[in-house]
Amino acid sequence: MIEYSVMNISVEEAEKALREIEASRLAMRSAIRSHRGHLFLWLWGFIWIAMSVLYWIDAHRFQMASLAICVAGIVGSFAIGIRQNRQIRSRIDRRFAAVCVVLLVFGYGVWPVFFGGLTSYKAAYGYCSLLWMQVYIVAGIWFDTYLLWVGLAVTALILAGFLLFPVLFWVITILCGAVLVGTGFYIRYFWQ
Amino acid sequence: MDQLDYTIHQPARLQIMSALCQLTESERVDFTYLKDRLGLTDGNLGAHLATLEARGYIAVDKEFVARRPKTFVAVTPAGRQAFAAHVAALQLLLAPK
Repeated sequence: MIEYSVMNISVEEAEKALREIEASRLAMRSAIRSHRGHLFLWLWGFIWIAMSVLYWIDAHRFQMASLAICVAGIVGSFAIGIRQNRQIRSRIDRRFAAVCVVLLVFGYGVWPVFFGGLTSYKAAYGYCSLLWMQVYIVAGIWFDTYLLWVGLAVTALILAGFLLFPVLFWVITILCGAVLVGTGFYIRYFWQ
Repeated sequence: MDQLDYTIHQPARLQIMSALCQLTESERVDFTYLKDRLGLTDGNLGAHLATLEARGYIAVDKEFVARRPKTFVAVTPAGRQAFAAHVAALQLLLAPK
């Protein structure tokens, strides 16, 4: 295999190569940005905000309405996934999928029974949010750091709202939705 | 000291490696998408990918997605290391003596 030594190319050629590297890097980063999941963050951020507002407007219908909104969100997520037909993909990691399944099965199936059920909308809402934020944190450790920060930020907000500022809990959940929406904007427009 | 790597220094391969190194370690990119992004032909990109794959700098996976054959390309840890060393060698050339 032929290899250049440092002396084999001119300074001008080195400069040109570095410019090409930078141009290619910027073009690819711009392409990757549109595949980073900002649409999902916007969708679920707004759903989160909508659900919190809904609780204020009509707490009695909250459960059924939030279920309908979540189903709409799942359908929307599938639609975005199909439309994007991602050309940049993460390798399917079975260990990651297994960890998420274990978290969700324990979260939904074991812990609520173990702790004697969730007695209020607030507790159930906070609990389900924390459960999904565990998945964000695991995904952040596994794949993409920004998910880790979103997971940690929302977890901190939910715990603060539940334990320290219970009166402000639903306001804080709006802030949680805003974290997702804001991260979506950051990923789409400012991530380099 | 970092050495320039001829395999990477060829202009098209430099573009390919620079683009692939922007992906995270778990990500890979579709062949057609990469071809469109870099403005290369099928044959040209295929040939350069084969060269990089032979050096162990990239991994090429072929699989069926919705019954259609798809080719995905990812950079290997060795490729990332070689590209970083190549960039460092280029920068060294420009460093004030």
